[in-house]
Amino acid sequence: MLRPLGNINKMDPAELNILKKRIDIVSAVVIFFVVILVVRLWHLQIQQGAEYSRLSEVNRIRTQYLAAPRGNILDRNGEIIISNRPRFNVVWIREDAPHPDEVIKQLAGLLGMDISELLDRIRAGADHPRYMPTRLKEDVDWKTLVQIENNSFNLPGVQIEVLPSRDYLYGNMASHLIGYLGEINRQELDERSAEGYLAGDQIGKMGVEKLFEPYLKGEKGYSLVEVDVHGFAQKQLQIHEPLPGGDLRLTLDIKIQKAAEDAMADKAGAVVAMEVNTGRLLALVSAPALPLNKFEGGIPTPVWRGLLEDPKTPLINKPIQGQYPPGSTYKLITALAGLEEKVITPETVHYCPGFINFGNRRYGCWKKGGHGAVNLNKAISESCDVYFYQVGQKLGVDTLARYAALFGLGRKTGIKLEHEKEGLVPTSEWKQRRHQEPWQEGETMSVAIGQGFNLATPLQINRMTAAVANGGKLYRPLLVDSVRDQEGNMVTSFPPVLENTAIAKENSWRLVRQGMIDAVNGEHATARAAKFSEIVVAGKTGTAQVVRLAHFEHLKGDAIPYKFRDHAWFTCYAPADNPEIAVTVLVEHGGGGGSVAAPIAKAVLKSYFAGRLGAAAAPEPPPPPATIDSEE
Amino acid sequence: MLRFDRRLLQNIDWVMLAAVLVVAILGLVNLYSASYLTKSVGTSVFIKQIYYYLMGFGIIFCIILVDYKTLIAWNYPIYAAMIILLLAALILGAEVAGTQRWLNLGFFRLQPSEPAKLMLVITLASYYFRKDTGKGFTLKELAVPITLTAVPFLLILKQPDLGTALLLAFIFVSITLFVKLKWSTLAVLAGTGLAAIPLAWHFFLKPYQRQRVLTFLDPEKDPLGASYHITQSKIAVGSGLKFGKGYLHGTQAQLDFLPERHTDFAFSVWAEEWGFVGSLVLLACYFFIILWGLNIALAARDKFGMLLAFGIVSLIFWQAFINLAMVLGLLPVVGMPLPMFSYGGSSLITTLAGIGLLINIRMRRFMGPS
Repeated sequence: MLRPLGNINKMDPAELNILKKRIDIVSAVVIFFVVILVVRLWHLQIQQGAEYSRLSEVNRIRTQYLAAPRGNILDRNGEIIISNRPRFNVVWIREDAPHPDEVIKQLAGLLGMDISELLDRIRAGADHPRYMPTRLKEDVDWKTLVQIENNSFNLPGVQIEVLPSRDYLYGNMASHLIGYLGEINRQELDERSAEGYLAGDQIGKMGVEKLFEPYLKGEKGYSLVEVDVHGFAQKQLQIHEPLPGGDLRLTLDIKIQKAAEDAMADKAGAVVAMEVNTGRLLALVSAPALPLNKFEGGIPTPVWRGLLEDPKTPLINKPIQGQYPPGSTYKLITALAGLEEKVITPETVHYCPGFINFGNRRYGCWKKGGHGAVNLNKAISESCDVYFYQVGQKLGVDTLARYAALFGLGRKTGIKLEHEKEGLVPTSEWKQRRHQEPWQEGETMSVAIGQGFNLATPLQINRMTAAVANGGKLYRPLLVDSVRDQEGNMVTSFPPVLENTAIAKENSWRLVRQGMIDAVNGEHATARAAKFSEIVVAGKTGTAQVVRLAHFEHLKGDAIPYKFRDHAWFTCYAPADNPEIAVTVLVEHGGGGGSVAAPIAKAVLKSYFAGRLGAAAAPEPPPPPATIDSEE
Repeated sequence: MLRFDRRLLQNIDWVMLAAVLVVAILGLVNLYSASYLTKSVGTSVFIKQIYYYLMGFGIIFCIILVDYKTLIAWNYPIYAAMIILLLAALILGAEVAGTQRWLNLGFFRLQPSEPAKLMLVITLASYYFRKDTGKGFTLKELAVPITLTAVPFLLILKQPDLGTALLLAFIFVSITLFVKLKWSTLAVLAGTGLAAIPLAWHFFLKPYQRQRVLTFLDPEKDPLGASYHITQSKIAVGSGLKFGKGYLHGTQAQLDFLPERHTDFAFSVWAEEWGFVGSLVLLACYFFIILWGLNIALAARDKFGMLLAFGIVSLIFWQAFINLAMVLGLLPVVGMPLPMFSYGGSSLITTLAGIGLLINIRMRRFMGPS
């Protein structure tokens, strides 16, 4: 259908003539339009110029933007966790104060600031138009506010700017996941100017404040204001009300969150509580909390340095960013894999003398004296290392890794929070790739009891526990339930997401669960500290070794330096016959899981089952002393 | 194919390049003033526009290396790319910010409706070049180019961007009138067009678009609402008087009364600060570029070159005229940049690509068949 290219410049002279004529016509049309424009310019600039000049002189209508109230953050029951409050800034308008020296001197006294500091701020705003306010001090208290208002006659050019700001009704509760606001920076402004952001706006910098920014922020309003020759607002001519942001309803229950945070007071670590059958999180704690109120409006350097250097690492969001060896909690996977791969039966018995020799090394059990004859139930409930060393050897590392993957270990859970870590499930192929060395069988033994290369986040262990409780269903952890507008209409919601299901025989599940029930309720239970009389809890303790140092072996508890102490794990679900909630606790450098972590889980469960526990449960039985029976 | 004749270099259209450079410099000078108020915020639009100009000149250079006739063969792939871009903006663009005009490429936010203008010119020029028998087009023969225009027209209308959509229609009408039509065809088309206006008013225009037109017809009715833009723009232009208020001293622009002053209303800033004389200088630059472009069409070696050059000139002309008429209060407010003068990468680079094609056509005007 193409004409051969060679022919295309053959233009019929007659046709060319016609086209030439048309171009002449077109030129005439263009000239006609240009003349219209010139005449119009003449009309506007010369004929009516004087009138428009006068209009531009008296043109005093200005657009002022009105900040939209940001959406609240609520818990699952509609309890407000984060709201807004007015925040008062002292500002300076150059146009209104031609001779500022006296004013600045007086202001410095009122605000408790150096004159030089005030001058620096005024100079920084020298670029801006004269009517634009320059901030002198942010977030002044009521007393200062009243003093300035009373003196306003002597302080021409000084005004109070009212901005909405976050009100943390529960202090630093859930600080890591809620995050904070800060002034929009250049890069964010470049990327999002199309969304209506202006310099000086507040924007979410972390956590759900950042991730749900589009829902929370609302839409700015504006008003058209007539101003006099000095720039003072005289009359409001028109107002477009701002559209408030949507309310964010979290899946958290603040009662449970608070119980968990109180139990973690002065400790470092994580608590996760999840609905077993939906993946909705009831509590997500990272201890110690972040001082959110100090973050707003820029984090002062000393505060930041303090956070960075704190040995309890408050800047790490531990339930999703802390990676720890899962310790004995991993034995649930080893046990299930052993049953499913038929390397053990419930009746299989291994003898535990307190250690096992392999190669030229001795692998110890946490119970130095040994557990004696151990079957599966006893191995789980009393957490016998020697039993699981042997199960692990029969399975091999790659089979173990396959089961770990079924429970979501070694990959992100997909929770909507930033910088989640994957953890690590080692395989022989991984070691070859990572360390250029073949896998050693001795390493399989460490992996089988959750030590060695194994790493998991508390959220992963919690999800694994929920999957054991619900028959292998792995849900995506949900933190936000829904967003609603101010009329209460649903804007968006996040229903449960089933990611995959670990298939195993019903009998295998039953056996593992029974081991967990006995670990809390049995005669030699490792986690008696989590036992209730009304509700049956099923759980598993764990201890994650930080270092294997013979140096500390003879020492106990507080005598070991903090950073070398073991991490304490406890993970559980309840009620055992009809599971609703899974709770996981990790206490960094806490010591034994049974003595340190289990009581914290109990406090969380107590808050969850509050309505269902009898009055008898109120006086708490004293926790068992940390005897040699509690896992090392 | 890519053999590059040294003679071509001597034939480069330095006149056109110089004219474009003058507009570029005036545009940047003006943009500095228009964005002066917000220069401490984000990366300066002034600096960004300089980058876009450098990219644009790079693209001119690339375009002149390849004979424009290659476009005839690439006609339909180019058209397909245009449709894909517009669809992508509608589907993916929704996620960016509610408006569906932008496509985020990471390093650059593309407004696909801008390159679409030039792509449509190429498509129509190729089509008419292939099909023209010299006997004049009948209505039936026009079905294909009408459809070719209607698809991007509707996609852009859906964004919604009425101004750009109408521009596509203007381009179609201009090129179609330029090739020969049968008189009967012309009569039918004109009749249909006139009949379509009341229909479009009721069924196609969104309420805010109707509001703009009504405001234009009676601006005093609502001086602070929809006619705010036009009123402020007219005050800015009118108060410029003979010689303007002086660079960086336009009160309308510098006191934040003029909205969209670095994009669609850039000319208001210019007219306020440089007055009637400055406005005439800028107008003269555009006038010259348009006439020179028509001259290129006239001197083109073949009919395809002529149609293509004419299409590009009509693209630049209509945008400039509609923008200026809007800024001067002669037309209702529609989103339409002043080519090479308003801030905006997509528009600028598209226009410079068009200029590149014009230069390409001119420098090959003496060449025999390759």
